[in-house]
Amino acid sequence: MSPATRSSTCRRPDTMTRETATLHPRSRAITSTGVAALCLMATGLYMAATAPDEETQGEAARLLFVHVPSAITAYIALGAGLVTAVWYLIRRSPAADLVSAAAIEVGVLFTAITLLTGMIWGRFVWGVWWDWGDARMVSTAVLFFFYLGYLALRRSISDPRVRAVRCAVLGIVGFVQVPIVHYSVLWFRTLHQGPSIIRPDLANSTMDAAFVAPLGAALAAFIAILAYLVAVRVRLARLEAAVDRAASTSQPVGASVGPPSGLSV
Amino acid sequence: MNRRHVLIPAGALLAIVVGFLVWGGLTDNVVYYLTPSEAVDQRAGQEPGYRFRLGGLVEADWLRGTDDGVEFVVGDGAVSIDVVHTGAVPQLFRPGIGVVVEGAWEGDTFRSDTLLINHDEQYRAVDGEGTYQVPTAGP
Repeated sequence: MSPATRSSTCRRPDTMTRETATLHPRSRAITSTGVAALCLMATGLYMAATAPDEETQGEAARLLFVHVPSAITAYIALGAGLVTAVWYLIRRSPAADLVSAAAIEVGVLFTAITLLTGMIWGRFVWGVWWDWGDARMVSTAVLFFFYLGYLALRRSISDPRVRAVRCAVLGIVGFVQVPIVHYSVLWFRTLHQGPSIIRPDLANSTMDAAFVAPLGAALAAFIAILAYLVAVRVRLARLEAAVDRAASTSQPVGASVGPPSGLSV
Repeated sequence: MNRRHVLIPAGALLAIVVGFLVWGGLTDNVVYYLTPSEAVDQRAGQEPGYRFRLGGLVEADWLRGTDDGVEFVVGDGAVSIDVVHTGAVPQLFRPGIGVVVEGAWEGDTFRSDTLLINHDEQYRAVDGEGTYQVPTAGP
């Protein structure tokens, strides 16, 4: 049942109470994901701090353990946004729309972290914060602003169904940029270096094993943080949707039901 | 679903694809940097004072710090170009590292005012050699 039809359905108080209860889940799953993320983060931080210095980059190389995992996590988040957007268009499930939006919002956050850590690393290693001639930097900036546009679009449409359809299409279309960003360093001549591990000649990693383990630990931590943030954001979105429904049903014009007495958020 | 639902995202998709194609086409003609071989090849067709980026490896055998910059040779294995750089020298500058310099030909030397390190994808654990210093006196 879609939110629009639900808002015009007459509900008995006990259904309302039950619904309200599901809106406030004391979810053990979310809490344990959060705890797991914290533990993995501590492990990752420790391993990143105790990794050896890099030969030419020195301490700046440690940004690798934030920059690369956050970029991969952003890809994963935007990928989850894509899959759930497709799911929404096929099944018209409001939950898929909320998960898609949450994943993309967190993906934007990780893209921002990627851009910021990249700029700091660039200042140390290249000597500049930014270069508009570089394909990796420009494509990542375009991706970031595109998905900011997605978030702006979500805020500008009030009808949940219209919003869900338009955002799903935008979330699917926008994902085209992820492979462009990823392969930009191979397709173009860039200032940004090419891949060290996930490279066309996979067997010839250019990264010493001493850096691979902390990188893996950091990646695990980032993925756990992603899972936690998306879960929390979905729950928040459900509460927001309930408030919107309550607000729309309390309007006298076109309202077929009484005030949402049982709904306290 | 009305027509706008399709048109807006289709327009966005088109904008992305066209944007990247145009931008990619631009960078294909005006590449991010020229290699020393390309720079020498294309020199005849350039106006005097034409500014471009030159990218290659700092050659190991000759390098000299100056009062306001550094002089070195940048090469790609086939062609070597003398570079006189005036301005900030990044911390990581050293023989053998990749650089991108921005500037123009002046005679047979390349006069640069922007020096960037083009670090490769190598990550090697430190072996305790200490920090590299640009030598102040050269041959």
